[in-house]
Amino acid sequence: MATLTETPPIHEPAVPHRRRFLEPRYLILFGAAVVVAYLALVPVGTMIYASLRSTFLGLGPATWTFGNYVRTFTASGFGALVANSFGYAAATALVSVVLGFGLAWLVTRTNTPAKGFARIAALVPLIIPGILNTVAWALLFSPQTGPLNQVLRAAHLPIFDIYSLRGMIFVQSTHVTPIAYLMGVAAFTSMDSSLEEAALSSGARPVRVFRSITLRLVRPAILSAALLMFIQTISTFEVPQLLGVPNHTFVFVSRMYDALQSFPADYGTVAVIGVFVLVIAAVGLIVSQRITKRSPTQTVTGKGFRPKVTDLGRWRWPAFAVFVVFFLVTVVLPLAMLLWSSLLPTYRPPSFAALRTLSLRNYLTLFDTPSLLDSLRNSAITALSAGLIVTVLTAVVAYLTIKTRIRGRWLLDGLATVPIAVPSIVMGVGVLYWYLAAPLPFHLYGTLAILIVAFVTIGLPYGMRYLGPGISQINDELEEAASASGAGWTQTFRRIYVPLLMPSLLAAFLYTTIVAFREISAAIFLYSQNTEVMAVKVYDLWSNGDYSTVAALGVVMVLLLTIVVGVVRLVTRRFSLESS
Amino acid sequence: MIKLTGLVKRYPGRTVANNAVDGIDLDVAEGELVTLLGPSGCGKTSTLRLIAGLERPNSGEISINGEVVAGPGCFLGAHRRPIGIVFQSYAIWPHMTVLENVMFPLRVGKHHGRRADMRARALAALDGVGLADFADRPAPALSGGQQQRVALARALVREPTVLLLDEPLSNLDAGLRDRMRDEIRAVQQRLGITTVFVTHDQDEALAVSDRVVVMNGGRIVEQGLPQEIYTWPRSEFTARFLGVSNTMSGTVTALDGEAADIAVSGGTLRCRACEGIEPGQRVSLFLRPESFRLSRRRHDDSDWAGTIAFSIYQGDCWDYHVTLAEETVKVRVYREKVGLAHGDTVYLKPDEDAVIVMPEGGAVDAPPPVRLTPRRGQRTDR
Repeated sequence: MATLTETPPIHEPAVPHRRRFLEPRYLILFGAAVVVAYLALVPVGTMIYASLRSTFLGLGPATWTFGNYVRTFTASGFGALVANSFGYAAATALVSVVLGFGLAWLVTRTNTPAKGFARIAALVPLIIPGILNTVAWALLFSPQTGPLNQVLRAAHLPIFDIYSLRGMIFVQSTHVTPIAYLMGVAAFTSMDSSLEEAALSSGARPVRVFRSITLRLVRPAILSAALLMFIQTISTFEVPQLLGVPNHTFVFVSRMYDALQSFPADYGTVAVIGVFVLVIAAVGLIVSQRITKRSPTQTVTGKGFRPKVTDLGRWRWPAFAVFVVFFLVTVVLPLAMLLWSSLLPTYRPPSFAALRTLSLRNYLTLFDTPSLLDSLRNSAITALSAGLIVTVLTAVVAYLTIKTRIRGRWLLDGLATVPIAVPSIVMGVGVLYWYLAAPLPFHLYGTLAILIVAFVTIGLPYGMRYLGPGISQINDELEEAASASGAGWTQTFRRIYVPLLMPSLLAAFLYTTIVAFREISAAIFLYSQNTEVMAVKVYDLWSNGDYSTVAALGVVMVLLLTIVVGVVRLVTRRFSLESS
Repeated sequence: MIKLTGLVKRYPGRTVANNAVDGIDLDVAEGELVTLLGPSGCGKTSTLRLIAGLERPNSGEISINGEVVAGPGCFLGAHRRPIGIVFQSYAIWPHMTVLENVMFPLRVGKHHGRRADMRARALAALDGVGLADFADRPAPALSGGQQQRVALARALVREPTVLLLDEPLSNLDAGLRDRMRDEIRAVQQRLGITTVFVTHDQDEALAVSDRVVVMNGGRIVEQGLPQEIYTWPRSEFTARFLGVSNTMSGTVTALDGEAADIAVSGGTLRCRACEGIEPGQRVSLFLRPESFRLSRRRHDDSDWAGTIAFSIYQGDCWDYHVTLAEETVKVRVYREKVGLAHGDTVYLKPDEDAVIVMPEGGAVDAPPPVRLTPRRGQRTDR
């Protein structure tokens, strides 16, 4: 600093107020806001519109009417439809939450030797998409040839009918229990165990403590998890379609798909049921958020305290066995089934004789079939583009809502989280309706772009979940220091925010890519001949009874997802090591 | 050099009556170090951020070096003002090395020169704070004091017209704080750079400033030389904020040029008069804890008798809380007075030359804050 020379000219004429809005900062932020508003509102709006029109996408004049609602709600079978849907979703929520929270309690609060499973269980829903889980269980419990039913038959027990409401509940539970388990782990670890110790030292016996303190404290988390599992179940496509429809057990989702497949397609009914599901999901989500907001576990400090561990004594190993069963059911059996079927020319149950027929022919077929390779390519393009777009968009939106005081930013934050409350199936139908009906100068239907639009909208909340906390962690003064150093906004964003946010950006990108890659509930309404993605292709092949190819394709999907999940974990670990 | 005129800043959601900055007029001369001193929420940091261009004023005008940088219809962002700023958190970018941090202001400017020149200038700036050897270290690997120096080098590397310091010492521990305080003052005087320093710590403010500006409730309470402010505060707020903890009320009995006789509960004190008082008037008296002579024996009939309520040992001194007839006063004693315990009778003789007199209820711009002396090292702003 001994070398002070003359000050370089670092001031420029002042900018009048009006031109502020032409600065890149405001243009970029405004652009992002418009895109998010369009994505979040248009599909839902279109579906509500369609539900209130006498004809939609049809010939003849259309008028405003409640006719669709009246017709749908009074149709014979609507009562059964509602009963099936609610029964299916409620039972699944109950099973998965009881199991998930039970397992979570064992892992976090007892000395069960099961800690290793904890991490694996967290990855299951990411690595095994719902459609593959469903396919695998349909094979395992296939009435005649399913190995599990053969075991039951050999033991002179009645076989388990997978093509029933019970079967649907079972399969969907295997898929969502790991999610409930994760929520349980979060709830139990954030609970201050001094609250339990205080009860113990007041003279309460452990069982009483568990009932009056532990359960009471996690009750909001349990209710909230149950609601989320309910919503998730009532709005996903694969299980009801694959396991319910063959037995004529319809729920909302399969009924919507059915109404669109029939000729002439009943757009009004689909829209009405869509609105119905949307309302259920939105109400459930709002209630769930209310519950968590008032939860007493929220008062817990952020300090890394160790939860008190209960000694299970002799019950340690039975508890461990529970985890082994959990692991077998959620991971080993479905994957083993897929792998086994993929190696056989035509399906046969596991036996020594069958071992000799094992071959990789199905995999070779996979690479010889252009439509299968196309689906791989389509999946890669749509998932990666959706991941990229979501990451960029949510980075800007998160910055805007967290770091600026621009008026109306809360509205933008709300818009970006709207898609959480919109079930994928509703999103799929909404996007479909909009691009079929809207007088746009371009046609997206039948292109990959329409899939990308849907995946981006579905991915927005996931992106926000990573980038919101990521951006709030960056101290305002880091940005202000850059500004005071003479850097303009674009320079600050590029040189300060992007490098510091890199772990969150990568995690958001990879995670939304995974979500888009697994996605079928929206894609099933939006694909056409040349734009099948892998998840849809699995469904397609299954419907044609081509089980061996399905299995081989499923194994390839699992491998791809495993690689991406592995990269996510590597990336997040490397960055968290570096930053610490 | 810096001129603030009628500056007002309101944050959304606050009422007009509760402006963060409520009409500030201030001139900072070239080369001067002015301290904004006040409790948390007094508007000192907001004022600094307005000068920096990190906030837009709701009304008023700011000019730097004769050029209006904020005013009706015009606003220059922070990146267009000739400033350097050191933040409370230092805001060292963790993804860059020390040298990259200091080079950043040179690289982003429109007029950046060759890379080698920028490097040389950044190294020279680092040398100025004694960190040239650390240039290639990753920034997060530095200690708090070193980060603070990097922040200072980064603020100065662009050779700004104005240096802004936002509580730069409050995150350091006690010993380091004094050293960095001295160093900041040394660098500031060597460069002769116009500086605005924000702090809630009166010791810091008194130590480094050419001028202290005491703020409260978004307004300037008073300003002056550090020794003026300390010895003869003109408002109750300043007196309390600077640690004058003993207050009593009295009545003026006689006025004689510079001196006044004031009757208090314990007797009559002959003190230095202040403006605007007249015989018969009620006045407030302020006495520093160290402005007493405390002894076990009565030296003089005018001594005040009292008993020790409790005592606190401070290392270099003792603080005794002494109960008098009508009030309790805090007395600080530097020489050992070992053995005084709860209930002992003592005699106090106030140092009449150090008594601060103010008209009762007058000359007070704002009510005293809830906590009179913020503890050191605590982050109190925002």
